[in-house]
Amino acid sequence: MQYALLIYEDEAIYGPEKDSPAMRDIVARHMAFGAELGEARKGGSGLRSTAAATTVRTAAGAKSLHDGPFAETKEQLGGFYLIDVPDLDAAIAVARRLPLAGDGAVEIRPLLGG
Amino acid sequence: MRSAGLEAAARTAGARIVGALAVRFRDLDIAEDAFADACVKAARAWPAAGEPRDPAAWLWRAALTSALDAARRRAVRARLRPDAPEAETDAERRLASDEAIIPDDRLRLIFICCHPAVAAEARAALTLRLVCGLSTAEIAWAFLVPEATMAQRLVRAKRKIAEAGVPFETPAPEAWPERLDAVLSTLEIAYAKAHEDAAGAGAHAGYAREMLDLTGLLASLLPGHAEVQALAALVCYAEARRPARLDEHGAMTPLSEQDPCLWRRDLIAAGDRYLARGEALGPAGPLALQARLHGLWCARCSLAEPPPWPEVLALYDALLEQREDRVVRLNRAVALAEVEGLAAALAELEALEGKAMARFAPYHAVRADFMRRAGRASEAREAYRATLALDPAAAERLWLERRLAEVHG
Repeated sequence: MQYALLIYEDEAIYGPEKDSPAMRDIVARHMAFGAELGEARKGGSGLRSTAAATTVRTAAGAKSLHDGPFAETKEQLGGFYLIDVPDLDAAIAVARRLPLAGDGAVEIRPLLGG
Repeated sequence: MRSAGLEAAARTAGARIVGALAVRFRDLDIAEDAFADACVKAARAWPAAGEPRDPAAWLWRAALTSALDAARRRAVRARLRPDAPEAETDAERRLASDEAIIPDDRLRLIFICCHPAVAAEARAALTLRLVCGLSTAEIAWAFLVPEATMAQRLVRAKRKIAEAGVPFETPAPEAWPERLDAVLSTLEIAYAKAHEDAAGAGAHAGYAREMLDLTGLLASLLPGHAEVQALAALVCYAEARRPARLDEHGAMTPLSEQDPCLWRRDLIAAGDRYLARGEALGPAGPLALQARLHGLWCARCSLAEPPPWPEVLALYDALLEQREDRVVRLNRAVALAEVEGLAAALAELEALEGKAMARFAPYHAVRADFMRRAGRASEAREAYRATLALDPAAAERLWLERRLAEVHG
């Protein structure tokens, strides 16, 4: 089955700089983790901070555009993996090993028709 | 209308059949519907043709046929070939007994129902439905929710299992501690619900008996796990006391006042065996400590023997180190009152106050008892009324009302 692993973290830990030591460190850990996943990794990427986010919202049929992420929360979607593994337990095992810089959460979502 | 023979066969073989079908077809709905269909067919066929020689095997064959049909229909819809075996040949059928014919996948079924990815509130219900064969109405009654709510909860849980890809395998070794914890906490919650009702009437009584079977089954399937053995011991001990939990007027009898002569010695002996087996396997976990507590009480042979309060207190101290929870604290305070006196127990109770105790009936009941014994009549009455206002079960209500009437001054 295919699952998306959505990574939620407090992006403040990486600081405003694009190549802060914390950022360089987590990128290196993700590279290693991706290699470890091998064939099971079907896709995914880290995301730039929500400072770079733009949201198109539809309300009552009308579209509006605004600066920022869709919801202002402490933890934000910071990246995702797309994996192909036998079942939920295997996906949970991957999610558990996924590198995080500090506190955070990994949401496991099966793909439609995956 | 189901005959007694069909009822018995469905009861003993139901979990086995549903489990085997679920694992083969990787679908809880197909398994459940096929078994229900087989029971309907049996209810129609058996009265006319006579009960089959091996009712469980008959049900299994009928359910397997029905499940294959359902899987084919689904496969036609999905334009896929079903990934399921054909029913076995007649020759094999005649040779084998039902034990050999129906694969035993009950442990897998329990693990599926109790997967931590399933909402905690739904796990116990799903286990009671699929493993114990309780009806949705019975489970709704036991959990004090409307039947429609419970039906929806079960549908949602089954959909989650199907859509999230919960595996239909026993978990991998590294996942065992967490998965077994989910199973044990699910069964512990389910049994606490069954135990709450001292009267044990109607649907509740049947459900408590099912918990006895279920925890015993788990203990036999996982003989090497200490806490699994402990849970089976706990349920045996607690059920052993059921005949003594009500007096002749239908009011509850507190544990320390129950006549041990009324307790079921066969279940106590079974509890002793499970407890000994569990204790031989390793250090005592929270379930083993609770089982020991029950075992302490069950070792009492007559009301003339002093209650084992000092040992009870020591065990609550040990339990508190592993499980910080308000029920444990409250029970410890009760034992403390007996060992060190009311003053110490009241101080302990005051420390608990405010921690979301307002709507926790046992807290008010314990407080009422302490106040009554301390001669603080008006506070006792107030606490009894607070307990009664939280709508206790009938047996408890009778007992509380009697105590309230006894408060003088």
